[in-house]
Amino acid sequence: MTTRYPAFANEILDLFAEREAALTDIAIIQPADPFLDMAGEDLRRRIFLTESETGKSLCLRPEFTIPVCRDHIETRATTPRRYGYLGEVFRQRREGGAEFFQAGIEDLGAGDRAGADARSLADAHALLARVLPGRGLRVTLGDQAVFEAVLAALGLPRGWQERLARAFGSSEMLDAAIAECASPPAAARLPREIASLVARGDEAALSDRIQQDMEAAGLSATAGREPCEIARRLIEKAELRSVRLADSALDVLKSFLAIRAPLAEAGERLAAFAGEAGLFIDEAVENFNERISRIVEQDVPLSGISYSAHFGRPLDYYTGFIFEIGAEGMDQTLVGGGRYDRLLTLLGAEKPIPGVGFSVWLDRVSALKEQAE
Amino acid sequence: MSVTLALPSKGRLKDKTIERLQGAGYPVRLPENDRSYRAAVDGIDGLEIAFLSASEIARELDRGTIDLGVTGEDLVRETIPDWERKVEIAARLGFGRANVVVAVPDVWFDVFTMADLDDVAAEFRQRHGRRLRIATKYGRLTQQFFSRKHGIQVYRIVESLGATEGAPAAGSADVIVDITSTGSTLKANHLRVLDDGVILRSQACLVMAKRERPDEEAKLIEDMAAALDGTSA
Repeated sequence: MTTRYPAFANEILDLFAEREAALTDIAIIQPADPFLDMAGEDLRRRIFLTESETGKSLCLRPEFTIPVCRDHIETRATTPRRYGYLGEVFRQRREGGAEFFQAGIEDLGAGDRAGADARSLADAHALLARVLPGRGLRVTLGDQAVFEAVLAALGLPRGWQERLARAFGSSEMLDAAIAECASPPAAARLPREIASLVARGDEAALSDRIQQDMEAAGLSATAGREPCEIARRLIEKAELRSVRLADSALDVLKSFLAIRAPLAEAGERLAAFAGEAGLFIDEAVENFNERISRIVEQDVPLSGISYSAHFGRPLDYYTGFIFEIGAEGMDQTLVGGGRYDRLLTLLGAEKPIPGVGFSVWLDRVSALKEQAE
Repeated sequence: MSVTLALPSKGRLKDKTIERLQGAGYPVRLPENDRSYRAAVDGIDGLEIAFLSASEIARELDRGTIDLGVTGEDLVRETIPDWERKVEIAARLGFGRANVVVAVPDVWFDVFTMADLDDVAAEFRQRHGRRLRIATKYGRLTQQFFSRKHGIQVYRIVESLGATEGAPAAGSADVIVDITSTGSTLKANHLRVLDDGVILRSQACLVMAKRERPDEEAKLIEDMAAALDGTSA
């Protein structure tokens, strides 16, 4: 490692080798589209964009997970496979420089999800324990799958379940989504003929009519949203119009989102919540408990871990387990990690490939080490 | 004392601006040479007039190369990062009114609100193998409105430099964000503004670059702003 790298880089590489994560080399210059497609347009102003001679959008890698997954798909690597990385990322931030080091492990294709989740957390924990010996660590853990199970058990309409699940992890977005389900908007002003087809629930006729309108408007019926898609959603919306999110369901959602517990007690708390609310979420709770017992097997001390029911990331490729680790002496998070079972499919993998991983902010680790010296 | 005021160099916006200045006691003496881009105001020393395009005026205000400019609020908010730190709207002039709006194809009978659009954007990728595309020349306003105000993350902006309203029919985008005064262009292109899809109600403004100024310059600007204010008219 050259002097650009943090002084403790070798300790991390040793840990990769011990924990069987092959060090992978990721190009610094990356196509920009996958990042903008996955993370959204918000990223555009924060990444370093340029263009190739042929007009292709390129950027300096703003993170590692997406390029690691893309390389995995491109090389048709066999799974399961564990990738370790350590290098600079380039991203404009409110605090700190725009060029900083990250390290992490991405674990792709492991079928035993609870085991892989636990190992990912253990990897991250071990990494921090090695580079910050003696420093107290606090782990926060969340699980979108439990939230989704609660939504399903409440018997909410599919459209609402999706909208609420999408907002999971952002309290602002979630509040707005809940408010909307509690008081759906008034009926839209539809042309008479359309309204009557909707009222009859005649999806096929509605779809035909929309197709005619599209043709008349010079819109391609295949390039974007299709007539059948619009027809189906129109009918779904009409069905929801008379439905309100009941106060009782709202209370259940609120009391779920307020759950915070040390991980050792989290399973019991969830079971007690389900019992009180009369919800059947046994499978999600079982998976949750299974993961806890695998975390114990990995020798991660449970005492420093807490579960927070509302903790998530509002990005559509995160699907379940997520975690972050902080350390005493710093407010900022040192590690962010989680399961992204949808990401590889979104990036073009032919078959679904489960994935879980984490990333460490090495610049923050450096700052803490300096503080200690 | 020297204060530079940039005025729109062409079109209705230019004519209306000069008319308003005239009415407020600032008669612009147009250059005899039609191709000159400099002018002065009779009776007011130290006020220099420059003619620039409306979007250049916003850029030059950002750079601080001019003191004052008459341009659209849409261009100020779109062109100048962190605009409130750099410039101040000294007066709203009451003309050049137009809205920056989110418009979808008329046949999207199921989409009337931003929440509807959020639903559509969320499942778009899965159905069509790409994100929902928004054609616009207002990338910054669009991103602020979609991401920050409505929490919609998953869409792509397609930069459009002209005839944005034609993008859905051309197949280059699914929805648009554009400026409209009467809505007739949108209508002609079978597009409809969402109920909560007005991003900005814009109008022509007298905009001032923020900086320390000698008292007499500040006074001149203050007087001019008061005289031009169109909100009371």
